[in-house]
Amino acid sequence: MDKIFEYIPQGLIITLVAIVAAVGAMLGVISYLILLERKLSAWMQDRRGPNRVGPMGIFQPFADGAKFLLKEDVIPANADKVLFLAAPGIGLLTTMLAFAVVPYGPVGAAGAPWFLRFIIVPGVDIGIVFIFAVTSLAVYGVILGGWASNNKYSALGSLRASAQVISYEIPLGMSVLGIALLGSTLDIEKILTQQASGGFWSWYFWTQPLACLIFFTSAMAEANRLPFDLSECEQELVGGFHTEYSSMKFALFFLGEYTHVITTSFLTAILFFGGWHFPWIATAESAYAGAWIVKLLVLLAKVFMVIVLIMLLRWTIPRFRFDQLMNLSWKALIPLSLANMLSVMTVLQFGWDRWLLGPISIGLFVLAGVISVGFKRAEIRHRPSAAELSQQLVT
Amino acid sequence: MPDFPPLFVYAIILVGFVLTNLALTHLIGPKKRTPVKDMPYESGMDPVGDARQPFNVRFCLVAILYLVFDVELLFLYPWAVSAFSDEGGIPLELRGTVFGIMLAFIATLVIAYIYAWRKGVFKWR
Repeated sequence: MDKIFEYIPQGLIITLVAIVAAVGAMLGVISYLILLERKLSAWMQDRRGPNRVGPMGIFQPFADGAKFLLKEDVIPANADKVLFLAAPGIGLLTTMLAFAVVPYGPVGAAGAPWFLRFIIVPGVDIGIVFIFAVTSLAVYGVILGGWASNNKYSALGSLRASAQVISYEIPLGMSVLGIALLGSTLDIEKILTQQASGGFWSWYFWTQPLACLIFFTSAMAEANRLPFDLSECEQELVGGFHTEYSSMKFALFFLGEYTHVITTSFLTAILFFGGWHFPWIATAESAYAGAWIVKLLVLLAKVFMVIVLIMLLRWTIPRFRFDQLMNLSWKALIPLSLANMLSVMTVLQFGWDRWLLGPISIGLFVLAGVISVGFKRAEIRHRPSAAELSQQLVT
Repeated sequence: MPDFPPLFVYAIILVGFVLTNLALTHLIGPKKRTPVKDMPYESGMDPVGDARQPFNVRFCLVAILYLVFDVELLFLYPWAVSAFSDEGGIPLELRGTVFGIMLAFIATLVIAYIYAWRKGVFKWR
């Protein structure tokens, strides 16, 4: 047995274990997250949800998977075949590739087995830029899928989706600049370590609450989740860009979306909520046996909470109208994230106390609310009355 | 220097996974093509014309504005990492100058933003 290991470099084994663990866990978890989401939706809408396959429907994911594979692979006659097939592949590939630099456990924790690394590509010092660069390629999956199917609903859905995704890309990237300024790094592992060694109050959520909100909102819009799923709103556009997709090709789009949700949740938990750090239980000093398992569980629990929050938001907030969606990004989130970044750089430049950033964030949020209410009121005041409108229509 | 080779292993495995899935479903699934099934689904109506038509210019404007902001973001990342770093960042005596330069840089962006707003790029109705 030892002989075999001599011929295979140890690094390759660790990498393969990390990849297999990540991809395997991801696919398994996603299939059960879909079940959980359906159950949660059912619970929120006073239904029962899937309950036929196995006790309480716990084998539903297997049935879904089998059905995805066995269904007919329809390619419309006037579709662009190559792009039509490439689109779901790009959709899954890009979102999965982004997961490569996300640490999904305590990296380098003492006591963990040697073959567990908890990150696929370690030590990438441009981690955040890499994630944004790769996930922004996911828009190609959407727009190619919509364009190649040669369906009017798909074309409209993909147009909307691409405008939405590129609009929310900017606040997403800008909100993280505050953390890059405070931590002087873009390496996700280092950002995690800074929070873990600094203790509970050094979680970036306490100094960057506004950035956390902006990041979470834009990341949900990037993942095309409700309330931002304008690209596939069923009432107007049938299925949006994936109207024409069936069988495994549809499943790949779906997997891509869920992978995006999971990556987003990991990033929110790691960047703003301290990753695997939790006071008393899992700190940088905790050295009891099995501490790495506790750290792993803490991180996964945080990620799970973010995912459940995303699922609950889905049935809490109604879908945006398209102009509201674009306004939220261009007129609210971008100025706010810019102001947030300016406040961080000013505080750091003049050496003021970092704790000012929390109140500044809240102040900016309140100010934005006041300004937008003022805008709305002015708009209502200048709105033409019904009599004027009918007059305009006549002339 | 980060350890990038695992990324390529990962990418190759992912491409393999995607191709296997596409091929499997193509081979396993039934193939019963009919002319109606091959039509694009537009709520049961026969499609009229081509779906690849000219679209609203606003989408193009948003894309151009996105480019402006995204390139600007790319410039901000290296600055953000090095601006207040204790090890190998911008030296202390230069930080005031860099701060002023960044303010000017962001001010040009804000002017462009206000110009776009006044021109009505963000007006969707």
